[in-house]
Amino acid sequence: MEGRPLDEQELVEQARGGDARAYEVLVRRYQDLAFRTACVIAGGSADAEDAAQEGFVKAWYALPRFRAGSPFRPWLLAIVANEARNRRRSGRRQDDLALRVAEDRPSGDAAPSPEAAALATEQRLLLLAAMGRLGENDRQVIACRYFLELSEAEMAAALGCRPGTVKSRLSRALDRLRAVLAEQGAAAAPTTLPGGDR
Amino acid sequence: MSRRELDLDRALADLAASLEFPPTPDLAAAVTARLDQPPVAARPAPAARGRRWLGGLTGWRRLAVAGLAVVLLAVAVLAASPGTREAVARRLGLRGIGVELGGNPPPTVTTAPGERLDLGLGERVSLEEARRRVDFPVLVPQTGGLERPDAVFVSEAVPPGGRVDLVWRARPGLPASGFTDAGLLITEFQGQTTPEFIKKVAVAGQVEFVEVDGEPAYWFSGEPHFFTYLDRAGRFREEQTRLAGNTLIWQRGELTLRLEGELSKEEALRIAESMH
Repeated sequence: MEGRPLDEQELVEQARGGDARAYEVLVRRYQDLAFRTACVIAGGSADAEDAAQEGFVKAWYALPRFRAGSPFRPWLLAIVANEARNRRRSGRRQDDLALRVAEDRPSGDAAPSPEAAALATEQRLLLLAAMGRLGENDRQVIACRYFLELSEAEMAAALGCRPGTVKSRLSRALDRLRAVLAEQGAAAAPTTLPGGDR
Repeated sequence: MSRRELDLDRALADLAASLEFPPTPDLAAAVTARLDQPPVAARPAPAARGRRWLGGLTGWRRLAVAGLAVVLLAVAVLAASPGTREAVARRLGLRGIGVELGGNPPPTVTTAPGERLDLGLGERVSLEEARRRVDFPVLVPQTGGLERPDAVFVSEAVPPGGRVDLVWRARPGLPASGFTDAGLLITEFQGQTTPEFIKKVAVAGQVEFVEVDGEPAYWFSGEPHFFTYLDRAGRFREEQTRLAGNTLIWQRGELTLRLEGELSKEEALRIAESMH
């Protein structure tokens, strides 16, 4: 393709007109986001792949109902997240979610001392363990905000709630996370991932 | 933000930077392989008239139960060729409504008779009060003496943004259904933030694609339907009462509307198009 890359609105307009190649560009652009959102909501990568693929296909056929000029990401996320919710099995932890804590930060300033690195990893594991003890809704809203870095409108779309309620949901979830962390306290805390023993 | 809030905020951002999601599969290839048609499908064959609706219900409150059709699910099998069903599956999908034709109903919890009042039926109010309580402009037909509903119910809790049910008594041109003296039910809610609030709709009768003011609409006719709705706890519940009949579902801007009555398709469309 020549010239500047097409912007989102142009791609969406072309896709609405039936241009599957334009839509493919959109899918490539948003497949990470869609798949990861589906991971957070479905709780498993196999279901997430299925949900994201189905969501993109449904979104294609739903394009005639997309309101021109409105943001594409929340609209797409709402469809993908809904597919993910349909595939979520009740009671499942995010065990296959594979939110692995990387042992080493990929890039960095000065390499930390081995002790400091171990301490940082330990703290992250504790935080992740605390998140694993939250309810599903709390985990999802925190993951949407911090792990997926969604906007409020996108969070509302992914979680299927009103945009006006996102802030208070997140705030309540963080309160509960803080409470869990306080409970864990300085006590010898598990260093395994939630559900990691399965 | 307090110090503690800031600490947690930073810790989560730090955690996020260390996390690895599973590698994203090549969705683009898989998806494009499935885009064999442009994003508008062909229209299937027209449908036949249906018959009774809401048989056996009595009283306004029960009618309000029928109003839960918003949250409802009509399940059965569509008699259609596989090609038509595919086209149908692609076209169906108004905001707030996900539709699946045929297949098995999802597991449901059967509602005991005494439990009905616990379902978030909504409260009977005046039209003006309903307009104050919900987040959307309540539309009312401007035709055939239907400008004032005989009863109005409002529910603010489910779905998000609220729901309004408008009910009219039977009258000339608005035949009585199988119960009391009600002739028409219209339900309105905002569907855009909950893509599949009505989980699935499938009919034993027929489904036809129509248009209301240029927007896609679906006309369901025939019998029997049985309806299941999503309760506040997110469970599907099945209404004991069988509802059957003719239903028009359409959208107007951000509103999703549903009209039920012993009406012909033409009559239903005329009412729908008059709504402001």
